[in-house]
Amino acid sequence: MLDFIQSLSDGVLFGATYALIGIGFTLVFGVMHKLNLSYAAASVGGAYCGLLVLKVFAGAPPLAVFFCAFLAGGLLGYIVYLACFHFIPISNPLATLMATVGMLLLVDEVIVHQTDGMPLNYPALFDDVMLRAGEFTLRGDLLMVFVVSILCMAGLLALLYRTRLGLATRAVSQQAVAAQLCGIRVGQVNAMTFVITGLLGGIAGAMIGASVGTLSPLLTTPLTIKGLIVTVIGGLGSIPGAIVAGLLVGGFESVLQQYRGVTERDLYVMLLLFVFLVFRPGGLFAPKEGRD
Amino acid sequence: MDFYFGLAQIIGVHTLLGLSAYIVLLTGQVSMAQAGFFAVGAYAAGMLTVLAGWAILPALAASSLLGAAVACAVGFPALRVKGLMLVIATLAFGEAVRLFFFNFDYQVARGGVKLGPLGGEGFRQIRYFPENGWTTMQVMLFIWIFVVLVMAILWWLDRSRYGAVLRAVGEDELAAQSVGINLTAVKVSAMTIGGAIAGLGGGIYAHYTTHIEHASFGILLATFALAYPILGGLGSVFGTVVAAIFVQGFLVEGLRFLGDWRNLLFGALIVLAMNLRPKGFLDAPTLRWIRRVFGGKRGAA
Repeated sequence: MLDFIQSLSDGVLFGATYALIGIGFTLVFGVMHKLNLSYAAASVGGAYCGLLVLKVFAGAPPLAVFFCAFLAGGLLGYIVYLACFHFIPISNPLATLMATVGMLLLVDEVIVHQTDGMPLNYPALFDDVMLRAGEFTLRGDLLMVFVVSILCMAGLLALLYRTRLGLATRAVSQQAVAAQLCGIRVGQVNAMTFVITGLLGGIAGAMIGASVGTLSPLLTTPLTIKGLIVTVIGGLGSIPGAIVAGLLVGGFESVLQQYRGVTERDLYVMLLLFVFLVFRPGGLFAPKEGRD
Repeated sequence: MDFYFGLAQIIGVHTLLGLSAYIVLLTGQVSMAQAGFFAVGAYAAGMLTVLAGWAILPALAASSLLGAAVACAVGFPALRVKGLMLVIATLAFGEAVRLFFFNFDYQVARGGVKLGPLGGEGFRQIRYFPENGWTTMQVMLFIWIFVVLVMAILWWLDRSRYGAVLRAVGEDELAAQSVGINLTAVKVSAMTIGGAIAGLGGGIYAHYTTHIEHASFGILLATFALAYPILGGLGSVFGTVVAAIFVQGFLVEGLRFLGDWRNLLFGALIVLAMNLRPKGFLDAPTLRWIRRVFGGKRGAA
């Protein structure tokens, strides 16, 4: 029983990063009704860029690395927007999808090329802290990951519901044409969405690096798939859904890793996805049916 | 010369993979599961010839049927969700198949050697072609007979009533439904045909490489499957072949002299191609132009 609670809590804490990746997918889907498959790769790419700080200033604090990853993620998000969305006609969803896949491969290869495919160590905060309650422990670095992720989500929700930019974003996601008629620059809002999700992704990538201890290009594919699964389980386009589903998937996979081993773990996560597709295709928080 | 025959083999198998995604794309569904069906076909055909001692043709027929059956089974739950959700569902399915074969052990001792799939190490010694003394050219011809056959069937399907129905669903689901087309039946049947083609391609693939492992059937292969018809354009089956030749012949083999940079260029060129030709290489105006040049008056219409 203790093992169960232990792995569940570790998983839920780590699941916060899945939630961040899921939010990124869901936000772009909500605003543009398109899938950005390169998102998880760009997030890991942002985290790698964070390591550049260490190259320039040896011994820079981890916070500086995280902040640099945050900024680099935003920049990468804008590049992805320009390369895969800006110039391709909106009536051609297949072309954008394919372009984002091309971008996924490109980011992956740039990382492999720059690092010779070797995993790199990633700095973490509080990794020597252990909170104990009898046999039960909470890892300090995982707690840090959780808290940072929750802060980012709070920041995002504040941005979406308390600022004019957030209002414009929500308007575009409800009805792009109507929003344009009200004088909102749809192109600008789309680009900003990519920058915002990129910033979140950079943080998510850095948090994953911090909690795992290393970054490797092998992370991108599983992360893409986990992020997408989180998006579907939470309901496409729903931010609270992505948060809940991220924590759920994190806990679920950690528990199954405990009982079934690391090679079989992901099979059960896929199975969870199919259970949702069959019995609740709209996800946990399915948005109400739109009129258009 | 054998190098070019080998290249033609690769292009042939990848064309089959692309065609399996092509027919699903005609209905407007984006399936990332084709690599999964391909893997199912590869393992099934390999096990049938190596472990059960079947000849190649019945083994390929069986792998094709199995691919179709799996695709049909996946199609029903997956097609309940629309559009982009399907991408995710099929992506997860493809990964699940790969993970299944990563954990799949079934070895039989045959004359002192253990044969059969062994988890992460893969499935070695699928030596039907070498054992029966086939030359590279014969294998190449064997593959292309299937490619031409499948292309002919798809070309004919495209011109039949069924092809019109597929494209109608792809153009506008709501309109298609309102003229009485059963959406589920159309989508699942397209998925099943795609699964059969992918299973066939996988069976052939297993035999010419002689060694398959789970890592070859990852997200990259699923991307390739989708890339061919999308890069080539959905206007005609020939677009898929053109794209397969372009990708495998030029991007993969032709740029080999670039060494490490080739992989970098690969992704960038896909992005570039989609920006410059969002409707594919052989889009409708290009097809019309080709028909005008080669088809005389008849094609001008």
